Order: sequence, then structure tokens, then C-alpha cells
Amino acid sequence: MTLPHYWLSLSPSTLICMEKVLEVRGARFDYGATQAVAGVDLDVGAGECVALLGPNGAGKTTLVNLVIGLLAAKEGRVRVRGGDPRIASTRRQLGVVQQSLGFPNTLKVSELVTGAAVRAGVPRSAAGPVMAELDLTDLASRRAAKLSGGQKQRLQLAMALVAEPRLLVLDEPTAGLDVPARRRFWQILAERRARGTGVLLTTHLIEESSAVADRVVVLDRGRVLAEGTPDELVARLPDRTVIARTSLVRTRLEAIPGVVSVRDDGEHVRLGTRAPEALLRVLLAEDPGLTDLRVEGAGLEEAVAGLIERGAA
Amino acid sequence: MKVFRVELADELRGVVREPAALFFSILMPVAFFALFVSLFGKFSNGGLSAGTAMVATFGAFGVISVVLMNPGIGVAADRERGWLRAKRVSAVPISVTLAAKVVAALPYAAGVLLAMMATAAITGSLDAPVPALLRMLLVLVVGALPFALLSLAIGFQVGSGTAAAVLNAVLIPSAVVSGLWMPLSMMPAFFADIARFLPTYHLAGLATAQLTGGPVWAHVFALLGFAVVAAGLAAVSYRHARS
Repeated sequence: MTLPHYWLSLSPSTLICMEKVLEVRGARFDYGATQAVAGVDLDVGAGECVALLGPNGAGKTTLVNLVIGLLAAKEGRVRVRGGDPRIASTRRQLGVVQQSLGFPNTLKVSELVTGAAVRAGVPRSAAGPVMAELDLTDLASRRAAKLSGGQKQRLQLAMALVAEPRLLVLDEPTAGLDVPARRRFWQILAERRARGTGVLLTTHLIEESSAVADRVVVLDRGRVLAEGTPDELVARLPDRTVIARTSLVRTRLEAIPGVVSVRDDGEHVRLGTRAPEALLRVLLAEDPGLTDLRVEGAGLEEAVAGLIERGAA
Repeated sequence: MKVFRVELADELRGVVREPAALFFSILMPVAFFALFVSLFGKFSNGGLSAGTAMVATFGAFGVISVVLMNPGIGVAADRERGWLRAKRVSAVPISVTLAAKVVAALPYAAGVLLAMMATAAITGSLDAPVPALLRMLLVLVVGALPFALLSLAIGFQVGSGTAAAVLNAVLIPSAVVSGLWMPLSMMPAFFADIARFLPTYHLAGLATAQLTGGPVWAHVFALLGFAVVAAGLAAVSYRHARS
């Protein structure tokens, strides 16, 4: 079978030919009068990590459900390595990690990973190595329902990886994990990506996606608003981030003209703005106790907020 | 087949490792049966000892209670915890998962029947030949399968707590009106008029016919009709839960 390929630009001087593990073309899905996905195109290449970002109701969950075969597109096409994800043979190429999955109270870690192997059509013996890779060997005989949040996510990842899927779909995979557990999670995925597994990630942790994703796709109201590397998206906007310690309340900060996002960062506040000079004038005028003031280029979070605001305008 | 074995093993582990569930599935119907058979077992009922007849009627109740409660509550709990979704995105057809849930209930249904037969034998009120008892066991276990479909239909729609309440609300009145606890001859006449429309009545009737040699086809057709309706309800309910 000839697999579809496309050219992905890594830098102006470097082009590589990458096998496509996910291809979405003109996908549409509606819930009655509500258009959830309105003609989306999306590709994920082998070894590539693509983050799907957008506000609640943007259509991320519906798009993911189309990709993993839980829904059928009413128009357009969704293909995982050339196959329809609603077909069992295609699903064997898919691994899915959900935000929170409650395991049956009665099943043990080893039984779940072994079961996932059998269900995916690979030998039971595949469970041992993947459990070792995810530091689950010592927990093999423990009931899954009694694991910590981080251990449960590792177990889910083990179940998803045991069949060596070509596409991993991760829905808020690190929500609730502490920093070391999160780091370990992405380290394991980096190893798999190096072996050619593509990753489609949805997350609210935008800075995390900035660190791990090769490309970011911003969805809003069912459409792709912007797409590119995190740096490209940030560079596309003239926005800046103003960081300071201020006594001004959040509602006042949000009301300042040009401010597109307000985010607490420890004792500081990070303000994404299209008009940094005007913002600075207001802050200095209204808050005599203003300290630690600095201005940076916008981060991905500010860029995404700005893109969505401009898209909505 | 290998996948079905894994699914079935998971379901059976679920029951074995949480034996508290067995209390309601097995011990309660059997204890209830033991009480009634010790009180009335040696009376005569249509040529059979009441104890033997009660193995068929109480047996129908015991089997239905296992097959009606377990798959539906299980599927509702799996839906709540996201486990059913995880199964749906795996390469395994959902029908295999659901079939395993139903089949896993059958050994417990057979266990209920065997325990009731043993209780009736111990109290000296079991007077049917072994082949007839085995036929009755087979009829009850197979005939209870449509109840599992109804159970799944409810499990796809509501949470596990509500499923238990709804299923009990279906089971208990149906059992009483169908004469599964007390013979219909001892009940108000209108119970018999209602019972003719209930699958619980027809399953008990089919089981009793294995012991008495009575007519079976009316019961068989009624149960087949119920199976078609229950399968339709389960399919519609699953599609509704999926969308």
C-alpha cells in the first residue's frame, strides 16, 4: 500500500518527506443546528506532535471523536494511515489516552495491559516491556483503581502503547500530574515519537503544548483559525506580554483597552496586550505600588488568546 | 475468540473479586427460596410437590435477578467511569464486550438454580427426575438472555445507582404479578390477567412445563417476542448513548 506523504517545512532550508499518520479533509459534523466541526483540514505526520488548542466549545472534542472513530464525519474524510478509524483494523493503529479514565475496581495493572495487547491483536508478551518502559512492573499486581493519578495515566499510556500505535491521541493527558510525572510522561512520548509515532494532543496547558508540539492548530467555532509552529503563531501577532506585581484587581485589568488575556503567575500577573505602551501608561497611573515591571514578547497562550479574539471580531 | 475470552475473564474476575455482589445475586434469592420451601415445600401443587414447583418459579426469579441486574449495572458503571468509551475506541467490537457481560452472568444464574435445587433436596421436597431438572435449568438460563438485553438497554441510559433502582422496580413487581414467589392461584384474579403479558410469567411457565410436561409453545413465542423487543430497545438505547 502506498501511504500518503506530505512535505513538512522544518526550517527555511530544510524539508523532509514525512509519512502521514492522520489526514482530515473538509471534515464537518453538527449536532442539529450546532455546527461543531465546520470543514476542518488537519494532518499529523509520523513522529510529529500536533497540539489542538481552542476555547471550550471550539470543536476539539468532536474533532478528536471523529479521529478516534467514535463519530462519523457528515461530510469530508478522516483517515488514520489511509484507513477509516471506525474500522477495527484501523483502530489497531490508534492509541488513545483520555483525560480521566476510571478503571474497573477489580482488575490489576498487568491484567489491563495484557488485555489491551490481546484486544489490539498483539501477543500477551508485549505487555512486559511496555510496563517496564513506563515503570509499572512493580505495580503489576496492584488493582488499577488504587493507583495514584500519575500511575493511572502511565497505565493508560501503557495500554495505548502496547500495540505500537502509529497515532496517539492524547486528551488532556497530564491534567492533575505533578511536574516530575509530567516530565516523565513527555520523555516517554519523545522516545516513541522518535520511533515514528505521531501524536495529536488536546490540552488546556498551552505553555506545555508550546514545549512539546511541533505544530499548533487553533480551533474556534469548529474552524481552523491558525496553524503553525508555536514560534510562528507567536510571531504572527504584534502582541506583547506585560508582567508586573500590581494591586489592581483582575476585572480592572481585563477592562484596560488592548488587553487580550490576564493570567496569574505566582505573585505576578501576565497581561497579553496589543497595545503595550497604552497598558503601561494605565498601570503606572493607577497603581503607585507597581513593581517588577517588564515587557516580553507574547507567549503561546497570549498568542492563542489574541488569535481567537481577532477571529471572533 | 481470544478477545472474547479476555473480556469474559475480566468480567468473571469482577464478580469473584467483589463477592459482596454475590449476596444480592445468589444468597438473597436462595435464602428467600429456603424460607418458602421450608414452610410450603411439601404441599402439592398441580401434581408436583410445591417445593419442586418452586424450584421452577423461584428459580426463574433467581436467574432473572442475576441476568437482569448484573449486565445493566455493569454497563452503567463502565459508562460512568469512561471505561466503555475506552472499549469503544479499541479494536474490539462493542458487541463482544457486551456479550461477555451477559455470558459472565450465566454461571451465577446456574449457581442460583443449583443452590435452590440442593435446598429443595435437603428439605425433602424435590421429587422431579434429574433429566427434567436439567432441562429446566437449561431453559431458565437460555430463556433469561432476553432479560440481559433489557438490562443493557437500561444500563445505556442511566447511571449505575439509578440502574439498580430502575431494574429492581422492573423485577420485583413483575416477579410478584407473575406468581414467581406465590402461586397465581393464591393471588387476586387480575394478577393472572396481567401476568399473561409479562415475560417473567412465560419464563416460569416454560420452566414448570419441563417438570410437568405441559404445553410450551405459547411461552416460547412470548419469550421470542420479548427477545426481539428487548434487542430493539438495547440497540436504540446504545445508539442514543453513543451519540
